[in-house]
Amino acid sequence: MGVMRLGYVHLRVTDLEEARDHYSNTLGMEVVHEEPGKLHLKCWDEWDHHSLVLEEGGVGLVKVGYKCSSEDDLVDYEKRSSAFGATTGRFSRGENLTVGDGVRITLPSEHTVELYTDMEFSGTETGSINPEAWPRNMRGVGTHWIDHCLIAAEDPGLIERFFQECLDFRTAEKVVETMEHPEVIGTWMTAPESHAAHDLAVIKGPNAKLHHFAYHLDDWNAILRAADIFSMDDVPIDIGPTRHGITRGETVYFFDPSGNRNEVFAGLEHRVQKDFPTINWTADQLGKGIFYHDRELNERFTTVFT
Amino acid sequence: MPEVTILPDGLQVTAAEAETVLAALSRAGLRYRVGCKRGGCGVCKVQLVLGEVRYERPVAESVLSDDERVEGICLSCRAVPITNIAIELQEGDRLRKVLGFAYPNSAQPPPGRSASNPATGTKERKD
Repeated sequence: MGVMRLGYVHLRVTDLEEARDHYSNTLGMEVVHEEPGKLHLKCWDEWDHHSLVLEEGGVGLVKVGYKCSSEDDLVDYEKRSSAFGATTGRFSRGENLTVGDGVRITLPSEHTVELYTDMEFSGTETGSINPEAWPRNMRGVGTHWIDHCLIAAEDPGLIERFFQECLDFRTAEKVVETMEHPEVIGTWMTAPESHAAHDLAVIKGPNAKLHHFAYHLDDWNAILRAADIFSMDDVPIDIGPTRHGITRGETVYFFDPSGNRNEVFAGLEHRVQKDFPTINWTADQLGKGIFYHDRELNERFTTVFT
Repeated sequence: MPEVTILPDGLQVTAAEAETVLAALSRAGLRYRVGCKRGGCGVCKVQLVLGEVRYERPVAESVLSDDERVEGICLSCRAVPITNIAIELQEGDRLRKVLGFAYPNSAQPPPGRSASNPATGTKERKD
């Protein structure tokens, strides 16, 4: 029981048509619903109605939605979040297109997180009976699914504690000041019912801001191919293709037409299970933790947020 | 076509029609502190000391506020010069030349010849 995955990202963009082109043609998502000023999209390998909402006006995150197993989860999570001191409330079926009732939480870091159990099921492009490996009409990068997001918080330790205590997330990996003074600089967390290496990450930075959200790809070859497509489409690459030390994932960071950072992410990743320890990185090795080959952070990593 | 002068170095770059300040500097092999290059983060802000720019794409108020515009702060990845302009990089930033080996003229104009370099569009201010 509990949170299963990052279900949707709701993002602000300055120009909806440029964003449509990026997310639909370059990344290969499908527009499943449109209304004035707003687009709903999904990846070919996602089962639910949508995973991305683009809203025209501004940049950065409106909110993220995490899908939970049961109604009991919502009741329990709401109670615990409220007791923790976070602002909580309920939202009704229909407030988010095809999404059922849910709980809205404002984190101490001022991000809005929505918990829900139900979204219209529309199926993947390849279906659930004798599916082909991938659809022949795949466009651009052909991202599989939205995998995780990384948000910024002035006190990442507090947000880690919130997700541990209120939503049962486990810390897969973290960056601490030193092992003797384990103040949290960043944390990579897995949802209780998830199979991913991480579903949420938090690093030290300005509250309410997004660092990036990421799409899952097959492997290193797919990462290289994605970077080729970014060059063809003149998408600014932040870094990569390279590997993260933290998560061991293979990656390209890049920017959408409004400057929101995206990632394509693949690779072995560490397994995260209840009886495994948290992997610790110390601040003096942060460069290697983030970019395993460069072994130093570029300035953008710690300054570019939307 | 508008000229962009970068202070205090005094380097000049000619911006093409509808070209942003960042694109013009980048084309001439000049580097400075930039972020997403797409108007989202505000890392590439510079001070507009002289002249006028316009924005051909929407810029979020959270990235460049009205107050900043009044103070002459300019988001260089989105700002298109409409007159000759002079800009100053942010405090602590500095201009780097990455095409110096290919276009040595952009570093130091030879004596007695035009300071312009048609290959890069850059020229040194003569003072």
